[in-house]
Amino acid sequence: MGGLKGASWTMDLPVIETPVFPRWVWMEEITYSHIPIATLVTAYMLLAPLFEYIGYRRHDPRWERLSKGLIWFAMIVFSPGAALGTGIPMFIIGTYPEFWSRWANLFFWPLIAQFIFFLVEVFFLFFLYYLTWDAWQHRKRLHIAMGVCAAISGYLVQIVWDSLGAYMLTPGNVALPGVDQPVAWSLPAMLNPSFPFLLFHRTFGNFSYVMLLTGGVLALRYMGQKRKNPDSENTQYFHWAAGTCFIIGFFAFFAQPVIGWFYARVIQREAPVAFMAIMGGHSSPYFIAKMIAILILLVVGGTFVVKRYGSKTVVWAATAGLLVVLLVVMMHPPLMWLGESAAAWRVVSTAVVLAIIGWLWRSRGRGDPNRTGWQWAMFIVGLAGFFAFAMGGFSREHIKSPDTVYGEIVKPEWTDYEADRYLVYQKWLEPQELLPIDLDRQRPESWRSEVGQARRDGLELTDEEAERIITYLEEHH
Amino acid sequence: MILAAGSNPFIQFPGGAKWSIGFLGIFHVAVGSLAIGFAFIVTVLQLVAYFRKDNRYDLLAKRVQLWHVCIYNIGTINAIGLVFALSGLYPQFWSQIFTQFFWTLIVEETLFLMLATTLTFHYFFWEDMWGHKKLHIFLGALMTPFFFLQFYIINGMGAYMLTPAFAEGKASLWSGTAGILGWDKLAFYNPSFLMLTLHRTAANFAYAGFVVAGVCGCLLYLAKRDKIKAWYETGGRLTFKVAFISFLTLPIIGFFYSWVLKYHAKEAYDNLMIGRGDVVAGGIDWWWTKQLVVAAMIGIGLVFGRKSAKAKREFAMPMAAVYVVSLLYLMFYVGMATQMTWMFLWGSLAAAIIAGLWASHLVNRHGGSGRAVFVTMGILSFLTVCLGGYVREASRPRFVNPSGDAEPGQNRIQHYSSVYHPAERPESIDMRMVRGEPPHAAEVPGRSPLLEIGPETAADLVSSRCISCHTLERIYSYKGTDWDRVVGRMEAYGTRMTNEEAGEIVEYLEGGELQRNTSIDVNDGPTSSE
Repeated sequence: MGGLKGASWTMDLPVIETPVFPRWVWMEEITYSHIPIATLVTAYMLLAPLFEYIGYRRHDPRWERLSKGLIWFAMIVFSPGAALGTGIPMFIIGTYPEFWSRWANLFFWPLIAQFIFFLVEVFFLFFLYYLTWDAWQHRKRLHIAMGVCAAISGYLVQIVWDSLGAYMLTPGNVALPGVDQPVAWSLPAMLNPSFPFLLFHRTFGNFSYVMLLTGGVLALRYMGQKRKNPDSENTQYFHWAAGTCFIIGFFAFFAQPVIGWFYARVIQREAPVAFMAIMGGHSSPYFIAKMIAILILLVVGGTFVVKRYGSKTVVWAATAGLLVVLLVVMMHPPLMWLGESAAAWRVVSTAVVLAIIGWLWRSRGRGDPNRTGWQWAMFIVGLAGFFAFAMGGFSREHIKSPDTVYGEIVKPEWTDYEADRYLVYQKWLEPQELLPIDLDRQRPESWRSEVGQARRDGLELTDEEAERIITYLEEHH
Repeated sequence: MILAAGSNPFIQFPGGAKWSIGFLGIFHVAVGSLAIGFAFIVTVLQLVAYFRKDNRYDLLAKRVQLWHVCIYNIGTINAIGLVFALSGLYPQFWSQIFTQFFWTLIVEETLFLMLATTLTFHYFFWEDMWGHKKLHIFLGALMTPFFFLQFYIINGMGAYMLTPAFAEGKASLWSGTAGILGWDKLAFYNPSFLMLTLHRTAANFAYAGFVVAGVCGCLLYLAKRDKIKAWYETGGRLTFKVAFISFLTLPIIGFFYSWVLKYHAKEAYDNLMIGRGDVVAGGIDWWWTKQLVVAAMIGIGLVFGRKSAKAKREFAMPMAAVYVVSLLYLMFYVGMATQMTWMFLWGSLAAAIIAGLWASHLVNRHGGSGRAVFVTMGILSFLTVCLGGYVREASRPRFVNPSGDAEPGQNRIQHYSSVYHPAERPESIDMRMVRGEPPHAAEVPGRSPLLEIGPETAADLVSSRCISCHTLERIYSYKGTDWDRVVGRMEAYGTRMTNEEAGEIVEYLEGGELQRNTSIDVNDGPTSSE
């Protein structure tokens, strides 16, 4: 594959323009409509057989009811989700024809495999898991096995898509073939550097946001049932189910900072421009928004969890999770949002995490977590979890702008501004080990003389590149 | 891993690319058609339940809708597989189709989403909407027009592939219009579009009805309680009736469909009617096979209908209408026999008689129950859908290399060897994809030159100007020689053409070129590529 670096031929098919919004807006609109549904279905399919098994082992019908409820909802959203999913390649083929042709040239067999996994998933989920639920009440193990098969095939679909999606950010050494180079598939491309990290990050992200949101929705249902009949079986069930889902989602979150740290390291090595974009660059506002959502999740969600489940084990578990978060913050390159001092960033972040831990210990077992306000708080935390998840995906796509596949293909609607910004990250910041924020912090008197001096000191830039960098820096910094 | 090289410029698929697309396509059509028919059948059952105040039909409708939900997703996923397979195996064809039909496909996708949502609500909230039955029935009924809009769009594309008429890619270059960027009206409203749509509409209703009846038949075998048996028997009879009535309209529409093919896809028509090489597999002509199956279905339907009518069973068919249409079928078979071979007539008659006798035996054996007939018709209708879809695809001239020469095994166009490239494409959307000259630029196989668009000929003018109002058949069958007057009249009717173009058309028609071009010599090899 090494010999195929770069594409030799361009494609003469017309690029179709879209009305009202630019193509990328429509593209993201369709994609972001599909992804939440797909991730929700996948998470439900993975958890439902597990819950059913727990219910079977414990002889606790609540777990079975929860499991069936998850699958019932997955069935409802499955068809619209699949229909949206079908629209995505259709839309890309027309609006990004060259990207699709080259990408499909590289990943033909994985796409076909994904289709087969999808078909198998439907077969197990619809015919052997959902339809047989009541009929196989006395063949519980067989029924759970069918659920596991559906979950495995659904997860295989996710594996394929994560692999192909990760390639777009970190293609590694595998070039995107030309439109006339039908490679069909490439193992190195599938096992690209960020694939395992994206896969695990999204897996735990799915569990976390889906369970938090489910817990939030069930909390609202609990509230409704409580109003109608406080002592009914339904009220008790929703009380139990909301708390159970919520705590699963809350603790699933703590895997995220650890996986995310490794993921960021890979991006830093394999896609340095993208890394800079998210760490202080043009995509950092999305990252900050995500961090705020996570902070809400930790503080409000954590408070609810320690109020509802006041045992020391739960609070110690939350403390351990928060300490892991702190460890990651310490190891992470300092974001220096508080000035130029890395120490200030570290001291303040340590203080914040320790304050949250202190707050959780103080809140343990206090107050009434069954009050209406807390049900709404659970729902808001669920939304915050979803928002953090969505922001993660959104920023992952935007940090490689104007590339569609990092370093391989540029999106057709690229602008000079985006191309120049990319050049500044790549040829000005990266060789000098600077961060985007340094462009404002260390603004010189004259960018022209600064760039000239850097070139004299050995920075490799062509005249054209130097001129583009100077123009960009003078206009924007 | 590079599977494609200069001498082997395609992604290879086990069994061949054609096989994989054919399988996925037919599978999708079989499932998609069933889904369309199911939506209709559910509405019929719900209406019968509502007006008769008989809850059994509503229960059956719910059961059918559950099957619908299950197969709908299989159809959806199958469509995704088809999109992926076409992208990799027939990349140029698939990309080119998108330049003409992108917006149609996006509208189709939107309808798809609306359908999925409606279907989900209709089935999963069946009990919740019990107090709003009219609204619930309306919601279910809404799916049929949605399906039809979606189906209409796909038929536009499918029909274009068989009868592109004058919209063969280069049309946009002549027109001087804004170019084709995702919507090609001329290609969409191609000559066989209407007939294909009508034919498939009736076929879908028939197919789904027979399949529902077939499933009722299977459940009749399994049912033990008399009440349940009676429920499936009546449900099966109702759907069988709907299906058979739809089925009887097929030869009439089919006749006009083949008439259009005769003038706009002569080679495909000959392939279908006479069977030349590529529609014969293993010595069996699939179109004939389909006709034999259809004849058998008529035989079964006639006998079963007659027995039901005599026994005054519920949902018996109006036999007078059945006899009239059966006579039409017979005339069709006689007509085909005169064109092809009398073996066709005798074979079809034999199939109808044998199947009729077999149906009579089955009904008697089951004490008047239609269970075995339902199952048999369900299977046969599935076969006809698969065979019908296959022969339509297989009838197109194939096995050509990029130069258009016949070459066994060669049925694909090399990746972008000659791409569709409207001259009017705005320069502003030219894509900057290459960063510098790659080191291997000299190593990759050379690329064929772009498609050369020749000047518009008189034949092209006739196609593009005349066909906007009527088919070429009108010109072909015109016996007069006063073309000057005819063309002048057409101008008066509103045909837009310059005086030079009108003169060119008159000269061409007076020369009799059109008539000569329309009668294709069967010894000619295929001349166009997919």
